[in-house]
Amino acid sequence: MNEKKKGKISIVKILIYAFFVIMSVIYLAPLLWVFSVSFKTNGEIFTDPFALPESLFIDNYVFSWTAGKLGIAMMNSFFVCVITLLLSMFLGSTVSFAIGRMKWKLSGFVMVYFMMGMMIPVHCVLIPLFTRFAKVGLSNNLWGLILPYLTFSLPTTIFIMTGFFKSLPNELVESACIDGCSIYQIFAQICLPLSKTGLFVTGLMTFVANWNELLLAMVFISDDTKKTLPVSLSKFVGPYNTNYSQMFAAIVIAIVPTIIVYCAFSNQIVEGLTAGAVKG
Amino acid sequence: MKKKVLSILLTVAMTASLLAGCGSAGSGAANSGAADAGAADSAAADAGSTGDAAASGDVEEITWMFWDDLEATEDLISKGYKEVIDRFNQDYAGKYHVTPVTTNLEEYYTKLNALVASGEAPDVFIVSPGPNLTTYVEPGVAADLTPYLDADWKGSFSSDAVFAQQTYDGKIYAVPLNIAAACVFYNKEMFEEAGAAVPKTWDELIDACEKIKAKGHTPITISAGTAWCLSMLAGYLCDREGVDLKKIDSGEESWNNPKTLDAANKMIELSQYFQPTAAGDTNDVATAGLYNGEAAILIQGSWAIGQINGENPDFEQKCGVFQFPEIPGGNDPNRVIAKSDSLAMSATTKHPEASIALMKYFTDDTAQKYTAEVGGKIPVTNVQYDATKAPAQLADVMDIFSNASSTFGFYNESLFSTEAGSTFDDNMVAIYLGEKTPEQAFDDLDAWYAANKK
Amino acid sequence: MEKLLRDKKAIAVFVLPAFILFTLILFVPICQSVYYSFCDYDALTSPKFVGLKNYQNLIVDDTMKIAVKNSLFFLIYSCVTQLVMGLILAGLLTNIEKGRNVFKNIIYLPCVLSSAALGLLWMFIFSPKLGINQILAKFGMQGPLWLMDIKGYITLPMWVIAFVALWQYVGQSMMLYMAQISGISKSLYEASYIDGCNKVKSFWHITLPLIKPMVGTAMSLNAIGSLKFFDLIFNMTEGGPNHKTEVLATHLYQQGFKYFKYGYASAIGTVLLILCLIMTFVINKLFQSENYEM
Repeated sequence: MNEKKKGKISIVKILIYAFFVIMSVIYLAPLLWVFSVSFKTNGEIFTDPFALPESLFIDNYVFSWTAGKLGIAMMNSFFVCVITLLLSMFLGSTVSFAIGRMKWKLSGFVMVYFMMGMMIPVHCVLIPLFTRFAKVGLSNNLWGLILPYLTFSLPTTIFIMTGFFKSLPNELVESACIDGCSIYQIFAQICLPLSKTGLFVTGLMTFVANWNELLLAMVFISDDTKKTLPVSLSKFVGPYNTNYSQMFAAIVIAIVPTIIVYCAFSNQIVEGLTAGAVKG
Repeated sequence: MKKKVLSILLTVAMTASLLAGCGSAGSGAANSGAADAGAADSAAADAGSTGDAAASGDVEEITWMFWDDLEATEDLISKGYKEVIDRFNQDYAGKYHVTPVTTNLEEYYTKLNALVASGEAPDVFIVSPGPNLTTYVEPGVAADLTPYLDADWKGSFSSDAVFAQQTYDGKIYAVPLNIAAACVFYNKEMFEEAGAAVPKTWDELIDACEKIKAKGHTPITISAGTAWCLSMLAGYLCDREGVDLKKIDSGEESWNNPKTLDAANKMIELSQYFQPTAAGDTNDVATAGLYNGEAAILIQGSWAIGQINGENPDFEQKCGVFQFPEIPGGNDPNRVIAKSDSLAMSATTKHPEASIALMKYFTDDTAQKYTAEVGGKIPVTNVQYDATKAPAQLADVMDIFSNASSTFGFYNESLFSTEAGSTFDDNMVAIYLGEKTPEQAFDDLDAWYAANKK
Repeated sequence: MEKLLRDKKAIAVFVLPAFILFTLILFVPICQSVYYSFCDYDALTSPKFVGLKNYQNLIVDDTMKIAVKNSLFFLIYSCVTQLVMGLILAGLLTNIEKGRNVFKNIIYLPCVLSSAALGLLWMFIFSPKLGINQILAKFGMQGPLWLMDIKGYITLPMWVIAFVALWQYVGQSMMLYMAQISGISKSLYEASYIDGCNKVKSFWHITLPLIKPMVGTAMSLNAIGSLKFFDLIFNMTEGGPNHKTEVLATHLYQQGFKYFKYGYASAIGTVLLILCLIMTFVINKLFQSENYEM
């Protein structure tokens, strides 16, 4: 009886594993394909897109990186994302601390006000922001991206960080009070360090979302030397002809850094992201 | 209470300074607001990399806006423009300096409009004639160039006719740089093999397609994935049928009329000779179909010459060109679709001399010679160029162009707005895909005009 | 202690910077946008109030009809498939030990990649001369025009894009459900096995009810996400062929930044905003349930 049951379970297990192996192929094959095509010449791509490249033709990469300005684009993306990340961590956690730990009448209202941002798509503010930024010199300016990125990162940050601050034990704050700490010290020296996980999570989410953002960057930036990575990709699709091989190299350049970071931190990222979501 | 107010003020001040910091750190254009602020900014960036003499305050800085990346481009005409810019900056070093502002074609007008709206319009910018140019002429964004042209410039152009699409009420608002004509490119070998003659009339075209098809080749390669390519064919058919586009666009005639319906039915008849993937193929793929010897006929603008010869140099000698065939009983068969790139000058520029000097560089002999010999487009001046250096097909195109009785624009660039043009394109594709009958499509166009034309 | 936590000045210092930024960049522009939607406004003119004209045009706009249809299709499709696939993946993954992390990480990977880049990649995979149709051709089959077909109420390209979206984002739902499932106490399952439940039954009777609040969270994320959907479509079809794959976001972009009809685009934006608010409200109502003790 027992034997039979074990046998049955292992068949189910094998089926489950087979299912996940197939899933993995569906997930990895497109990425491996683009990697292989990116080393081909335009001619090779059209004759047999699925054969392995005959030789490693790295000119595609050199061209995309230099003439295609992907190098500059990557620096721009990095600049925008890091600044947004730092500002959103700072501004988000101060608000969350005030909402999560301090006692004031309007805290509920302010929380709802910020949470509204989660429901509002960026498209709805695109035109007013575009026209106004053009007037104050913020269009075609990386700060013109940072401000809306920051704004749209705040709701998630506040959502998650408020959860973290609320879950901190009361005794800590109380003993700090008795020691004569000011409220700013309680925030910066006691509560913030204890919510490091939360900061890490929100930081990651902010970074990933802004690193990949296309619409705002496309509308607000016109200067080639100020474009971010997702926008620069579309440059290879020309009106009269498309340079396929360089396009593929550009796709690889755009996704490889994220893949590397993901592989290095995958467990923290995955645990962190879910921890954050569940906390809320 | 006082404390509370104070703290609020403090926070406001903090935020305000944060915002202000953003504005000034970014471009420096926030306060000065003038068009040259942006220019000075980019010039400063430029000076760092090229070591130009921009640091001395005497150099007049201008900007030139263009729809292709001058560094990354493969397009021969764009490469020629880069040479013009470099030559200008070299010759005028210490006096004038131009900085190109480039985008891709897709975003070009978005960016241009944003700059115009913020008072930072580029001094000189490229624009397509037709509704696009009209949007800049009507609100006074583009400057009247007639005085400059009349002074000592106009004489170098091949004829006054080149300004036809740039003239509003007798005033010229943009200068054409080159002309491309839409023609029919064909594979001479395939025609010979099939025993087909170069068609002069509609029936001969059908006959040639039939013979080529019998030999097992695809007669026509075309792109419906890139809508304007199919729309170009529809435009030719309509014009050959004698459609009066001006009357339709102004509302005197309706889209749904016997001539447009005939044209649409001819397009459907011809579509049986298209390559099977025409619906999904992009412009590139369709053009590749000709130079890779997969199909015999491509209806395309002469800008494709550079691409064809560049991708497959062996094809240059096999490639013939003919005029779009006549439809007996229809319109004058010597009319040609032509398209020019044009330059306009901002009406608010602070440096009109520098801007005009730059524009003259685009139409001088060196630039125009390049246009013909390398770019494969028709020059706008009477420049003498070496025909043996120019692509083989250009001679045929020049022939067709100089024998043309008159030219007309792309249909989608001849209507009252860009959106009207796209709507026309979309409906032509819908007819080809069999999604709409010609009657439905033209009724829809009429309905769209009724709803959108003011 | 109490006094410290009620310090109004500190609260202001903590809250106001973000509050002001949020108001300037989000709240004020939304009001402006709603106002513009009642205006005749294009890139080179200033807004002129025309009342409901833009909304009247919306009703007769054929592309708008397609965009609304596609957006709603997308909304329903992603809510359903993400829920079903997410639950299946999460349920199966929690049942295996070896390789769980590897599979989990692989499936989650596309969530962190640029959808602009992935859109281009899939566009090539489904293009006629490259990709899938070449593989099919090797087996003597002629593949359909994946991204150009126009037949059917929901066209083939829409299904293709929807598939890619599921491929990219199902990892997110899976992770949320897995986190919730792993939080359920083992003793509950053991008790159910004693009562004679098998794994499938216990999944149905224990797991599902306990993760219901998370289903609500995941679903409202999906719903808002699918209404905002832009990057993939923009890079795969740009709304073509013939606007057949247009959704609200792409239609807004095209009207606003290709034809510069700012007023009209703002009206589309307002419709989008209202849809988002309704969806959030509906999902909250549906899944507002008592929290079980876990």
